[in-house]
Amino acid sequence: MEAKQYIGEGWKHAILIIGAIVVMLPFYMMVSMSLKSQQEIQSISGGLIGAQETQTFPVCVKTGYSEETCTMKPYQYNYWFAFEKAPIPRYLMNGVIVTLSIFIIQVLVALPCAYALAKLRFYGREFVFSMVLFCLLIPVHGIALPLYVMLAQAGLVDTYSALILPWTISVFGIFLMRQFFMTVPDELIDAARMDGMGEYAIVWKVMLPTAIPALLAFAIFSVVAHWNDYFWPRMVITGNRDLFTPPLGIREFRGGIDSDEFGPMMASIVTVTVPLIVAFIIAQKRFIEGITLTGMK
Amino acid sequence: MHNSKAHLWFIAPAIILMIIILIFPLFLAGGISFTDYNLGNKTFEWVGLENYDKMFNRKTYVKMIWATATYVIVVVPISVVLGLCAAMLLNSLRFGADIYKTIFFLPVMATLLAMAIAWEFTLHPTLGIVNSFLANGCGGVREFILGFHWLPWVDSQESWYAVACANNMDFPYWLKQKNTAIWTVCFIGIWQAFGFNMVLYLAGLTSIPRELYQAAEMDGAKSTWEQFKLVTWPMLGPTTLFVVTITTIRTFQVFDTIEILTKGGPSKTTYVMMYAIFEKAIQQNLTSIGAAITVVFIGFILVLTFFQRYVIEKRVHY
Repeated sequence: MEAKQYIGEGWKHAILIIGAIVVMLPFYMMVSMSLKSQQEIQSISGGLIGAQETQTFPVCVKTGYSEETCTMKPYQYNYWFAFEKAPIPRYLMNGVIVTLSIFIIQVLVALPCAYALAKLRFYGREFVFSMVLFCLLIPVHGIALPLYVMLAQAGLVDTYSALILPWTISVFGIFLMRQFFMTVPDELIDAARMDGMGEYAIVWKVMLPTAIPALLAFAIFSVVAHWNDYFWPRMVITGNRDLFTPPLGIREFRGGIDSDEFGPMMASIVTVTVPLIVAFIIAQKRFIEGITLTGMK
Repeated sequence: MHNSKAHLWFIAPAIILMIIILIFPLFLAGGISFTDYNLGNKTFEWVGLENYDKMFNRKTYVKMIWATATYVIVVVPISVVLGLCAAMLLNSLRFGADIYKTIFFLPVMATLLAMAIAWEFTLHPTLGIVNSFLANGCGGVREFILGFHWLPWVDSQESWYAVACANNMDFPYWLKQKNTAIWTVCFIGIWQAFGFNMVLYLAGLTSIPRELYQAAEMDGAKSTWEQFKLVTWPMLGPTTLFVVTITTIRTFQVFDTIEILTKGGPSKTTYVMMYAIFEKAIQQNLTSIGAAITVVFIGFILVLTFFQRYVIEKRVHY
């Protein structure tokens, strides 16, 4: 019996390992290419990291750097040249600016509304809530075109506002926070009122702290979605490099697949992809919780 | 109620934004779809159903519907079944489940656009490791397994693998060939989506009470398959329906991989709706036809979500 179970376990691992290899393939390719020299990439040799021989890189010399500057190991060259060619820090900063602005505005709008829907009694509350439920059905990417038309008419294409405005309202955030606030006991709020706190103070000083766990999950959900979003930035940012978010940067690095050097290109792609993946590996549980948030009811 | 006006200040921003950003655009898209308006025009004419007529009769748009339908019909079931299988396997492991879970979830997390480019290189005919792996396997075990030579009706000289080996390693240019592009894009879609489904199923599996399996065993359901049929599958019903709808909605919105890898080609075999909206309305400035596609697209999504919310949720919850 024991032996049989071990064999069963072995088979499961075998299947899962094959699956894991297929899943990891592009990650392997990406990292490997960012470390190897152009010749090694083109001849598919050198395994994961290549031979790392110090050499002089012709493209770098052609760009106008001295031969001395251009002599180094392939991995150094790939990452150094990637940063020389494109304003990667700028793209990353834009990513941070856009995702954080979106998240902060979403919370500023959603939290008070959720509190009102959960804890205040007023005329029309049911109507507002059913409006929220209806809006939950609308996929924002689906209505991208009319939103684009509106932004174009307002002259906002190619601005930060265009990147941020359509995402300022998160009906999902309202819904989630409302469900959470429903579980907060009324006594807590009554006690705060007895202490002379106004409704505004209650939202930010009493409700916000109780909502931290839910808010954290929502933050991950929102930040990951907008950091990775390519469709919307592609619609509203046409050429201004200063506004490029990381995915738009990635698209630019790709350039001409047949003409360019692949090492520096992949190095740039790895650089903008890695922050999120590292964050995920460090705080896995929270991330899985946050991203599958839409899956919980 | 102490401050009876407070709620107005609390809900007003949300209501105003909902109307401007979510509800008004629905009507705007509907309105534009009945005109010949293009962005930048000063005037427009009402043209009735002309845009919709084009959509259902012109070859391009018929191909668009086909490509979208193929993509959804392939990606949704396979990624759901793979997610379920992965979840059940992981759930029955004695050790190591967390590592696999992390690995399978990586594609969900990673920037899809970057991964699409990584796949492009992985599948590249001269630079990619997939085709070099296949080429090195000619005449060996790889050819036997992947060429399906183990199936009795496959002739080992005529299989796709053997033919490619014989023709100077002529393996497919996966993303550029008419007969493989859509399937390759589907594969990337499945690769990206199944980890998400796996996590939802893992959550579903933990909520099944252990006693049910013991009861099933007493009733004579001894084999794993019988227990799956009797307990696991019915108990996962709500999860499955939820997973299917959410995957369908996400799958409908495929854009990143198409835009970066195939641009809808070759010969429109991967011309999905979101890409069509982008290409027509933004790149070619045909706003009105883009609006018509938008309306049909939203229609699909609304029907699906309504279906989930009102039909299924009532039926499946015990």
